[in-house]
Amino acid sequence: MAAAVRKQSCGVFLVLSSFFGLSLGLFGGGETYRRQLIVELNPGSPLPPPDGDLLHVRAVGPNDTLHFLFCSLGAPTLLIVHTNTSSSTARVNWPKFEARNISGSLKVEPESSVLDSTAVVFTRLFEYNDVNDTANATSDLFPPYELHDFNWSRLSLSGPSAVLCGAAVTFTNGSLCLQLSVFESEGRGQSWPRLLHNANASQIRVKLEGVLPRAMQSRFMLELQAVGGAYPLSRVEVHRSIDDEFTPSIFKVAQWRSEVNTSSSGSGFLQWKPVAYRRSDPALEDATPCRHSEPRPQRSEETAALSALIMAFYSRAEPFGLNVSFGMAGQPFYNSTRFLSWTALVGVGSPPVDSFSPLVLSIMAVGLGTPMILLLVGGVCVCMQKRTAPPTLAYEPIN
Amino acid sequence: MADFEERQRLLEEEDDAPLTDTQAPRGPGRPLPAICDPSHLLHRVVVLVFMCFLGFGSYFCYDNPAALQTQVIQDLNLNTAKFMQLYAWYSWPNVVLCFFGGFMIDRVFGIRLGTVIFSLFVCGGQIIFATGALVNRFWLMEVGRFVFGIGGESLAVAQNTYAVNWFKGKELNLVFGLQLSMARVGSTVNMNIMGWVYSKVATLVGSPGHTTLGASLMIASVTCLFSLICALVLAFLDKRAERILLKEQGRTGEVIKLTDVKDFPFPLWLIFIVCVGYYVAIFPFIGLGQLFFIEKFNFSPAEARAVNSIVYIISAPASPILGFMVDKTGRNVIWVMIAVIATLAAHMMLAFTFWNPWIAMSLLGVSYSLLACALWPMVAFVVPEHQLGTAYGFMQSIQNLGLALIAMAAGSILDTRGYLVLEVFFCTCICIALIAVVMLYFVDYLRGGDLNRSAAVRNRLQKEASPDSEIKRRPSQLTEGEQARLAPMSAFGLRNRYLSRLGAQLPDHCSTHVSSLAYRSVLK
Repeated sequence: MAAAVRKQSCGVFLVLSSFFGLSLGLFGGGETYRRQLIVELNPGSPLPPPDGDLLHVRAVGPNDTLHFLFCSLGAPTLLIVHTNTSSSTARVNWPKFEARNISGSLKVEPESSVLDSTAVVFTRLFEYNDVNDTANATSDLFPPYELHDFNWSRLSLSGPSAVLCGAAVTFTNGSLCLQLSVFESEGRGQSWPRLLHNANASQIRVKLEGVLPRAMQSRFMLELQAVGGAYPLSRVEVHRSIDDEFTPSIFKVAQWRSEVNTSSSGSGFLQWKPVAYRRSDPALEDATPCRHSEPRPQRSEETAALSALIMAFYSRAEPFGLNVSFGMAGQPFYNSTRFLSWTALVGVGSPPVDSFSPLVLSIMAVGLGTPMILLLVGGVCVCMQKRTAPPTLAYEPIN
Repeated sequence: MADFEERQRLLEEEDDAPLTDTQAPRGPGRPLPAICDPSHLLHRVVVLVFMCFLGFGSYFCYDNPAALQTQVIQDLNLNTAKFMQLYAWYSWPNVVLCFFGGFMIDRVFGIRLGTVIFSLFVCGGQIIFATGALVNRFWLMEVGRFVFGIGGESLAVAQNTYAVNWFKGKELNLVFGLQLSMARVGSTVNMNIMGWVYSKVATLVGSPGHTTLGASLMIASVTCLFSLICALVLAFLDKRAERILLKEQGRTGEVIKLTDVKDFPFPLWLIFIVCVGYYVAIFPFIGLGQLFFIEKFNFSPAEARAVNSIVYIISAPASPILGFMVDKTGRNVIWVMIAVIATLAAHMMLAFTFWNPWIAMSLLGVSYSLLACALWPMVAFVVPEHQLGTAYGFMQSIQNLGLALIAMAAGSILDTRGYLVLEVFFCTCICIALIAVVMLYFVDYLRGGDLNRSAAVRNRLQKEASPDSEIKRRPSQLTEGEQARLAPMSAFGLRNRYLSRLGAQLPDHCSTHVSSLAYRSVLK
């Protein structure tokens, strides 16, 4: 926290040393390398598997590869495996994978090249009746929607992004959709919250659209579980950021990481801004704040039972789970728009950090620079005038 | 005709002068109890109370949208750009009206009827505004703010005219100070109480919503009704005083001649730029402040309203002190520069740090008061007296134009780009003001102008130059007939008309107004 604040006050000095700051802001910004994306649906499977799809995106960098695996067998799961070679592959033993009872049916080879892995499982969707408008889901919880019981559609691909929609058996209409985007290079999402991403991260957008709530004053809460390879993702840091340029009125970033701050390439992370939107094409007033609970350790077997990917890849997972609840006291209920959208970044390495945009920096530079220059030029002019004119005439009116 | 009127007024004043000086009751011929005697201090204190509350409703209701920002936006499903329209619609009528408010009081309605009419506008505007919220029609609310705007600024003119009329040559400085403080009290009370009123109404109605909002605004309009009653009482008392003391009806004495605009000197245009650039970074910001403090600094709504109103709270005591300081030291340009730089620093603190906003807002409050004290009197130094009315009218007109435009721009910037860019935008406005003030400094320096002289030098120059030359100039103007009407009646009241909204204390150092007030007696 303190570090974050310090970083921001550094930002101030950057702005103050305006032109210097401008060049830094324009040309700094960290990793700008690109990855080549190779998308494959159900790799190695002769027929599309009946119960769900497995998407495999290989993001090949100059000397490493990220494997993004997204699977709808069981609860939707995203697995990222980081290897230190650009020639690693993922191999699936389909009969075993679909049987969902044995570890090792999915392997990234060569196994020695695997540096780290991170997985996120979307396990449950809670709904509660917020009678007193407190946005505290302590009581009045309806039976949760188990995401592994959903009827998931086939994955629909468009370039390096995929959409997975599903509905509980009890949904009369509406759906829960997960949109995964994998990126070749650094950039920013098109729609709010416009998270900054790099080639080491993928973005997941969760949309709850058109679902008939079970009460007029329903609010929703999403349960996530995260599995880390080397270290469990056991804490959420919330950083304050003065920069809300890309996510108006949101001054916080939450990062779910492992306790051990391993240097650079190691650990995976989840990053999100504590905001959800109540319309698909949101305006500022459609933003609704989110809160998250503290991560709690979950039982490994349970998580593995929910998700085929976890079962297949991890021999021993150390999952942590938390809830993200949408809406605060006084905010409109889900029923008002019947839409919720929440976005998170899942990646490895260090999470991207927002910096001032060139627009802000150049405006401040020009705004502060011009009076300074004017003062200097004016001062010089006045000095010249004083030197050339006799001192007694200095105050004489010109006209 | 004009000549005749002029003479008539001067004659009346001649009668007036000895009366008020001796403070002896005349007229009916029988002694009145002190509280009923218009020439007695006690009676004037009673009048002062009504005078102070005359503007209370208008100041209370002006910032109603800011005080209920979250509720207004949520209950009516607005975005910020639409919300800021409420402020823009207040400013639009005043782009034109600040040229005519004084004229209408002087020539059309007279001060008494004028005050009542403007109060009616304020009251009616607020009721339309509240009704619009009750029936959930946003356009009706905008109409309400427009009508409210028609009355609001002109009512301030009327209030000052009353003050000059009743307290000229007596406790006028104090009265202006009190009126100002009362205005600040109105704004502050509004900021801090409306949220509470809303929550009380919400529990009564059952749930928050546009009905609750409308009801709360209706309650707020009681203050306007109260001000209307004050206007009626004042009209009665003034009429009565006129009958008893045989004194004339108060006039703003302001004369607007739009062709003067082409003669405005370059420094005046720079002053206009400073004025617009500065104030557009203050009032729209306060309008949007509440949510900013809630969202960026995690303040509770009550705390956010409190910190948002600190600018007004500080300016009440700071204005007289800073005004005195500026008067004693002179060097207005330097003071303006300091004020602009301090404001820039405050905005940058709000934009780029998480420092406690009480620091930045207090700094903003002080610098805002300082600017008002130093900037507005400068106009009197750069234009001849007979153009003062036009200069101030023009200044306020473009200020209102700027406020209306920037309010709309600020709303849509916030909606699309967020608070950081909004703050950067406000910083840019301040930077433009800073550029103008730096240029003003050099232009004034090179021209050897009066703006940045110390008070001591000014006084010395004044003593050497003013009395003879001005008395000489004055009669020659009078003979010019039509021109004579353009002569300054009271640049004093004029100036104060603006200062009351803007938080400046009466510039009592400024010899121009003293001389302009003196003229009438000089020329009797």
